[in-house]
Parts: sequence; C-alpha cells; structure tokens
Amino acid sequence: MRSRRGLGFVLLTTICVVVAVGFVLWSALGSRGASEAVAETVQPVSLPRDAVIFRSLDRADAKAYGRVAIVSRTDPSGPRELSGLTCERVYYAAGQGICLAKTGAVKYVAVLFGSDFRPTHEVALSGFPSRARISPDGRYASATVFAAGHSYASPGQFSTTTTIMDTASGTVVADLEKDFTVTKDGKAIDSPDFNFWGVTFAADSNRFYATLGTAGATYLIEGDVQARTAQVVHENVECPSLSPDGTRIAYKLVGDSGVWRFHVLDLATMTETPLAETKPIDDQIEWLDDDSVLYRVDEEIWTVPADGTGSPERYLAAADSPAVVRP
Amino acid sequence: MYQVESTAAVARVHRALLTRRLNVSRVVVLLGLTSLFTDISSEMVATILPVYLVYTLGLSPFQFGIIDGIYQGSSALVRIASGFLSDRTRRYKTVAGVGYGLSAVCKPLFLIVGSAWGAVGAVVLLDRTGKGIRTSPRDAMISLSTPHEKLGTAFGVHRALDTTGAMLGPLIGFGLLLLTPDSFDSIFVVSLCFALIGLGILALFVKNPPAETRAEEPKPRVTLRAAAGLLKGSRYRALVIAGTILSLATISDGFLYLGLQRNLDFDTSFFPLLFVGTSFVYMILAVPIGRLADRIGRGRVFVSGYALLLLVYLSLLLPSGGAGLLVVYIAILGTFYAATDGVLMALTGAVLPASLQASGLSFVVTATSVGRLVASIVFGALWTWAGLQNAVLVFGACLVLALAFAAIALRRTSGEAARA
Repeated sequence: MRSRRGLGFVLLTTICVVVAVGFVLWSALGSRGASEAVAETVQPVSLPRDAVIFRSLDRADAKAYGRVAIVSRTDPSGPRELSGLTCERVYYAAGQGICLAKTGAVKYVAVLFGSDFRPTHEVALSGFPSRARISPDGRYASATVFAAGHSYASPGQFSTTTTIMDTASGTVVADLEKDFTVTKDGKAIDSPDFNFWGVTFAADSNRFYATLGTAGATYLIEGDVQARTAQVVHENVECPSLSPDGTRIAYKLVGDSGVWRFHVLDLATMTETPLAETKPIDDQIEWLDDDSVLYRVDEEIWTVPADGTGSPERYLAAADSPAVVRP
Repeated sequence: MYQVESTAAVARVHRALLTRRLNVSRVVVLLGLTSLFTDISSEMVATILPVYLVYTLGLSPFQFGIIDGIYQGSSALVRIASGFLSDRTRRYKTVAGVGYGLSAVCKPLFLIVGSAWGAVGAVVLLDRTGKGIRTSPRDAMISLSTPHEKLGTAFGVHRALDTTGAMLGPLIGFGLLLLTPDSFDSIFVVSLCFALIGLGILALFVKNPPAETRAEEPKPRVTLRAAAGLLKGSRYRALVIAGTILSLATISDGFLYLGLQRNLDFDTSFFPLLFVGTSFVYMILAVPIGRLADRIGRGRVFVSGYALLLLVYLSLLLPSGGAGLLVVYIAILGTFYAATDGVLMALTGAVLPASLQASGLSFVVTATSVGRLVASIVFGALWTWAGLQNAVLVFGACLVLALAFAAIALRRTSGEAARA
C-alpha cells in the first residue's frame, strides 16, 4: 500500500517536472525568436503636420504590437505608418517624443526621441510605466511609474515615482516626491505616503499640474519646475490633462460609488462637469482639440465632447496612448 | 530543475530533523512539505501578479489593490467557517485538501479567464478562499498529532518549512521571468506543478488524525454553541485577549522597514532584501525557538518575542547608529517572528480540547490578524498626522502595557504547559 502511494507520488512529481521544464524551455525558445524579429525594422518616418501619434495594438500583427504609429488627425481610419519604436506608453509634442519601453523582464527605460523617431537619450525608470508627457515646447518630459515592490499582501497600497526630465540633455531634472515642497492653504505639508502621478504641462513648460495622493485622498497640484514648489488647488483629481487653450483640466474623479468618471474642471470658475463617458476608465486624457478629448477603452481610442454633451464614439481601433500633434 | 534543488534541500532538512532527534510526528514534517511546495507555488505568482495584471491586462496596481483589499475580509470569515467545519466532521485532511486544491486550480484559471478584470478578481478571490480554508484544519492536524509538550517544536518545524517555501517562491518567479521575459504562462504552469506536488504530499501521505488521539476526552458534540463556549474557558480567553492586544500594538514590518530606512538612511532598493533577511532569520530560528519554548515555557518565549519588538521600536527613537545596525534589527525582527507566530499556535493548541482544535485556532489567527490590520491603519494615520517619532512613542507605550497584561495573563497557561 505504502509503496503504491510512493510510486504515485514519484509519477506525479515526474509529470510535474517534465511539464514545468518542458513548458519553460518551449516558451524561452519561442520568445527569443520573437524578440529578434522585432529588432529587424527601424526605419525613420515622415510626420505629417496634423497627426495623431499612438501605440498600435493590432493583435493580428503580433510583431508590431505596441509599436508607435501615426495617422492623420483628420482621417484616423486612413493608413497608419509604423515606426520602429515599441513602447508601453508614448507621448509627443513640438518635435520631441518620449517612449516608456520595456527592456527586460522587469526593467523599463524612458526613450527620448526626435521628429525622425530615432532615439536620442535613454533614462532608466524605477518601475512599471504609467504616464508620459512632453511640455508644449518640447523642453521637458515627464514620466510616472509604479515603483517596484507592491506585494499581493498589502491591500490598497501602491507607490508611484514621477520624474521630470530635460529632453535636450536626457537628464532627470526633478523627482516630485523628493524635490518639491507642497503647500496646502498656505501651509507646507509632507507625509511618507505622498505619491505623485500624471503630470500635464502648461504653455510656458515651467508650470505644470499633477495629482498628489496621500492618506486616501487625491489633490490637484499646480507646480513650478524652476522653483521646485507646488500648491494644492483642488481635491479629488487624478491624472489631470490641461486643454490646449489652458483654461480647463480633464481628469478622473472618484464618484460616490467609488469608481472613476471623467470630468472637466474649469480653472476660472472651478466648476466640475461630468463627461458623457460613464465607464470607469484608468487613463490620462489627451485633448483632440479644445472641444473634445481622447482616451483609452480597453485596446481602442475613443472620443467624447469635453463639455458633457454628446456620447462616446470610437476614434481609433487597436490603439492606445494617443498624442495629438498640433499644427 | 528548481524542483530537484529544493527536493534535495528538503531531504537535507528532513535528515537534519531526524538526526537531531526532534521526534516530531511524520504528519508535521509532511504538512510542512505540503506548505513548502504550496508556498513556492503561491508566492511565485504573488510576486509577479501585480506586474502581470498591469502589463498584460492593463489594470492599474491601484485597481489590483482594490481587488485584493475587498477579499482580505472574506478570507477571515472563510477561515473561521472551515475551522468549525473541520471540527464538526473531523475530516481535517479533506477540508485542508479542498483548500490546497482550490488554490491549485486557480493557477491555470488565471490563464483561461484572460483579461476581464471581474473574472481576474474572482480568481484572486478563489485563491484567497483556498488559503482561508486550509489554514485552520492544517494547524489543527499539527496540534492533534503532537503531544502537548512537543507543540512548540512541531509548529517550529512546520513554520520553518513553510517559510523556506515563501523565500524560494519569489526567487523562482523572478528567475523564470528572466528566462522567459514575456511568458507569464510559464509562471502559472510551473506554479501549478508546485501546487500539485504539495497537494500530492497531503493526499498520498498525510493521515487524517484519528478522533481518539486524545483519549482522555469523551466524545463531545461539536456545535456552534460549544465553539463559542471556548471563550468561556479562562486560559483560552486569556490567550485570545493577550494575542489580540499585542497584535494591536504591533507596527507592521512594512512600516518598520520604512522607519528604519528614514532613521538609518539606506537605499530603498534594499527593501526586498529586508523581507528576505527577516524570513531567513525566522526560518533558521523557528525550530530552536520552538524547542526552547517547549522547555522553558511557551508563554515566556511568546512574551519575550514581543519584548524584542520593543527593542526595534526603540531603535526608531534613538539617533541613527549607522546602516550596519540594520543587520542587527533584521535579526531581532526575524527572532520576533520565530518566537511569536508558531509559538502562539502551540500555546493555543495546548489549551484547546481535541474536538475544537481547528475552530479555536482559526479564531485566534483571525483575531490577531484583524488586530494587525487595525494597527497598520492606525499607525499609518498617526505617522501622517503626528510624525514618525510620536507614532512610535504611542505604539511603544501601548506595547509596554500589552506586554505587562500578557505576562500576567499567560503566567498560568505557560507554567502549566512547561510542567506538562
């Protein structure tokens, strides 16, 4: 009896070892082939003046999944041109781009690139890419990552790192959590649980907005890159995005039901307007123009008017991370 | 290949155990091995799960935190229910097997459900439920198959093996991720294999403890009333209260590491190393401290463990002594775990009637883990509002009071256990 059990266990273990080792070897060899294929095509692309840059998520073409692509803004269903960059998140403004890319199993870098889509600088990132922005004049880039080390066992806890980079030199200018003094109602505040995410730059590049999360609440902060200061200007704002005319901020608001809803905040009157998109979506909005916004729904880009009217419509299939190149 | 290595390590541990004549029951070692393989399986997934969810499924870690947070509570309820059910049916092995099996089944389910985050949430729930189900019948089996005077050693052996698995799991997870960068599939497949081996050990080799293990007791009826009546017993009640108030004064290790980091000023990238270091000390000391507890009194060792925690608190209040001291604090923290976690189970097991082992153990575990959760929330709030120093002062004062209470409350229990 005992030996039969022993035999059963040996059999079970053998099958498990064979399956495990076999599967790992098979996927190790398979993935190696794939990564070679991706590396083969790096061609410069020509950028039309009125375009949308995005991540192409065409699953039918597995090798091009996550590749940065370009379509005409006025004809988004027209042909898309693929670049040689593969990213987790991409943004572009004024001839300067940022591509948050995966370079190893758990290694990520911010690749800065110019209008020819050739990398100019690489900046190491300390975690999983979440948000990317370029200032309207192309001077600064910003990246938000989820820092490593969130455990399955620590409920609701997460930690972000948000940095601002100089695009010309490819160096980190500031880490919001380490380098900035935040004031709320005129008083300086600080806490070990401070997290910053989702930078959006104003027209002069020096002024910016971002989210500060602490003690379960989120705040909209308005910051000054040179002065290394920021002040709280509003509550319950995540992933702000400043409109091209600089008058409004589109963002995620956590409603009474505990889920996100896109809103637009008028900075002059501080009135909040819910948008017609009712799905809870985790994305940093991109303004298509002063009247409508773009955002990710699963693996598609959708659009909705910015004044709360109308209804959501699909803008671009098999795509996310839109960046509108303004003429 | 990892399997071969860990099996060899296990064989060494097993031999070491036998040569040192610890004489713990075969069931304890087998349950330890089951936990070892199950922990490798679950920890390798736990390590990469946040990355998997955000990278492959496009979930934000924040959303994942919500999923995880919601289901923490349900796992506590399941644990108490499964404890009672195990006592009622006396089929500890079957109930534990369902728990281990459920978690094993979840590994391939992660692959099948794909990207719907509701479904992913449901699989995480199932996985947690499995963990909730298996804990109390497993601890009851350890307790039931061990004579009272050996309980500390038995739980020490089990926890040492369990922690070994928890340390190997993340290493294997990251190793696989390096080997097959984009293939999360292979992690789930390998995890399933480890889980099946763990389940196989339980199913094929562990015998359900016979009802008449402790023959001194007549066949009592296991009812909800009888389970609730446990709290009327002064020794059990003293343990529950002492364990709970001590846990309420416990600063979670995440916060302790953060505090140490501020005080000693080392790079935050060492954080994962701190967890590994603490687990390592715990693993090494679980058996010797368990034996010590059996010799000199488990209550005494348990209370001393918390006194060590007080030392770590003090270190946060003193001026910085340099990063070299970090090693000392990690050693103290690991010793604290070794002197409290398994020892509390041993203390409790010794005062519970055989018929209500699983119910009684599950209640203590739930009460202390709820205590720790509350303590974490309070400490985080205190740190934010009053600063680190003040928060530690408050928790230090509470811990001194809790220690004094526990020392008095446990004196009787501990004395009897030592003589037994």
